Amino acid sequence: MAKKTFKGRPILSGDLKGKALVSKKQAFNLTGSYLENMFAGRTDSAPCTDPTNKELYKKDLSGSIICTTQTVGSTFGSGCIMGMNDIGVGPKAYLFSSHIDSISASGLIMDDVWNERRVITIDLLGDEFLEAVKTDDPIAIHEDGTVEVG
Amino acid sequence: MKRRDFVKSATMVPLLPASGILLSIPRLADAATSSKTTSSGASQTGKVLPPQELPGYAENFLTSDMLGLGSDGKPTGLLATFTGASKANAKAEKAMKHKMKLTKDEEAILNGSEGEEKAKLMKILVKFGNTFGAEKLVDLGGAPHSNMFIGAGYMGSMIKMLDQCAKAGLKSYAPYTVNPRPYDVYKVNNNARDMEMIYEGYNLQRDLEYVHVRLGSPDLNKRTCACYVDEIGNAPKPGTYVAWAESSAVNYGNSALGLRTNRTGAGMDLLQAMLGKSPLFGLMTDEGRRAQWLIKVKTTKEPDWGAVGIAIGRKCVEDIPYITGLDKYFKGGKVTSENLHLLKAMGSATASAGAVGLYHVEGVTPDAKQKKRKLLEKGYKTYVIDDKEQARIIDTFPNLWPEKNGDPTAAFLGCPHNTYHEVVKWGKMVTEALDKAGKEEAAIPVYMFMPNPVRDRLVEEEGVLASRMKRAGMVSTNMCSVSYAGMKGFSERVRGVTNSAKTRNYSTLRYFPDDVLVKTIVDGKIPKGA
Repeated sequence: MAKKTFKGRPILSGDLKGKALVSKKQAFNLTGSYLENMFAGRTDSAPCTDPTNKELYKKDLSGSIICTTQTVGSTFGSGCIMGMNDIGVGPKAYLFSSHIDSISASGLIMDDVWNERRVITIDLLGDEFLEAVKTDDPIAIHEDGTVEVG
Repeated sequence: MKRRDFVKSATMVPLLPASGILLSIPRLADAATSSKTTSSGASQTGKVLPPQELPGYAENFLTSDMLGLGSDGKPTGLLATFTGASKANAKAEKAMKHKMKLTKDEEAILNGSEGEEKAKLMKILVKFGNTFGAEKLVDLGGAPHSNMFIGAGYMGSMIKMLDQCAKAGLKSYAPYTVNPRPYDVYKVNNNARDMEMIYEGYNLQRDLEYVHVRLGSPDLNKRTCACYVDEIGNAPKPGTYVAWAESSAVNYGNSALGLRTNRTGAGMDLLQAMLGKSPLFGLMTDEGRRAQWLIKVKTTKEPDWGAVGIAIGRKCVEDIPYITGLDKYFKGGKVTSENLHLLKAMGSATASAGAVGLYHVEGVTPDAKQKKRKLLEKGYKTYVIDDKEQARIIDTFPNLWPEKNGDPTAAFLGCPHNTYHEVVKWGKMVTEALDKAGKEEAAIPVYMFMPNPVRDRLVEEEGVLASRMKRAGMVSTNMCSVSYAGMKGFSERVRGVTNSAKTRNYSTLRYFPDDVLVKTIVDGKIPKGA
């Protein structure tokens, strides 16, 4: 596929290469997606437990590059982000097409500063980013917020 | 893995407020048995993983507020930043250049003049403020309200951060209030099954409460989501900047009290309390408090406040509504101890069905009184709620009881927590109806959710009524009703009814108007046609 480039805002910047894991039809439900890790003591991986999310359900979220619109769900989502990073199953990056929501921003920034655990976070990539990217597409993230797909 | 084995070996054992929406989706335990593909680790991103058995209490706990799903459980595509300010038009190039202006004192804190921990907190807050385009930091007044009420295992990392702050001697700028505990082992969860789940699921509750005590919230009796009632008294003056969490308190504070707060996420509320500062953006600014919707309530009778709230929440998501047609229910345009429950019921429903953090009621709420329809943005949209629309909304509330035609087994009154006026009203309505029917006791237990000082006032000022209510089976508790309605197995063993559109939104409880509920409580059956 032809490489496409998108420019977003690096909230927590970094360089990373990997594969995309995409939830474009609905926002990513933070607390609803990690039930096995939150409840069942699972630490080796993070199968998505949100059955309403047809694109991600049962797929491994651990170490992923999550491409979605925003996150939704409980205001305890900020604690969920910190908790999942703590047990090593958090994503490596969040790529948001829209403006980041305050819940995920709280958790991601708190964990980055307080615990020095960085999940690269870029928002405002635009609707065209989500229209272009598909799960398993190669992704290259750059320090300045540039994201290459393909 | 058996639950006990898990509890011994794992550090992450949570519980969450639940959502009713999850009940329309496949049970997780069932869905988890069909996968066959095996993989693990970061290199397997996108692969389908086999399931791991969830502890029993987990399957009914997905999430809460504004899921971006419709009443049919399908994605709506709606989004929310939870700051009330639509950022839909924000552009990356401009947003990434934004930097707040800090005072010299704030710069000094950032550079460690008041210790390493406070410097880190300031760094977090500055980064957060820049992310949302804040102009500057403002000093907070009044008192904070925190929604950090769940001592679940997965919150451990955040609780540890707060504990480190407490150990460093940091404290809230003022004594603060906190949401109700998620359980009551004296009056509601006083059985072995519930207690087992509670002590396993909320395994960090002690740690969390010890954090609160040291950061400045010592009184467990004052735990409530309705911190603004007279008996609790956390009701700062209009215009005060605060950093509150808890969607219903934020919504009431911004709207009825005229406070200025964003809808703060868990942890960020206490972080701001320790710094005594908040980034100025969104619902804290004049611009961010302007309304994008004109809501005309045109019901021929007093509206169903909860249903109207659900309607507004679904329509506005996180936009701000300017509501007309309600001033007649507030004599002289005043919000008082006797009528504030109307706004509480409507507002909390807007916040749970959507993410509304502020609403204006024409002729009633402080901003609307001062600025009137000048609050409406150019190009605002209009939504009319008449009898037909109200009925249509109520028709979308499904009966989620597994045994749909069964009789109710319990009533849940007061979410958000009851005011004193509501407690007296319900006490009289139920006991008088029982007396009329020649009955001593209600047919089903009636859980009345309220802060302890409200219960104490009832005993002091209406002792005879309090005694009669107790004999009638009306139980006063200061716990969170949503937490109870979300417990494992609740829907299988309890067919609940409620007056709270918010609780209905998160659970299997069925929502009815007051007169229907009174008959149901007395007879143990839902009246025909209700």
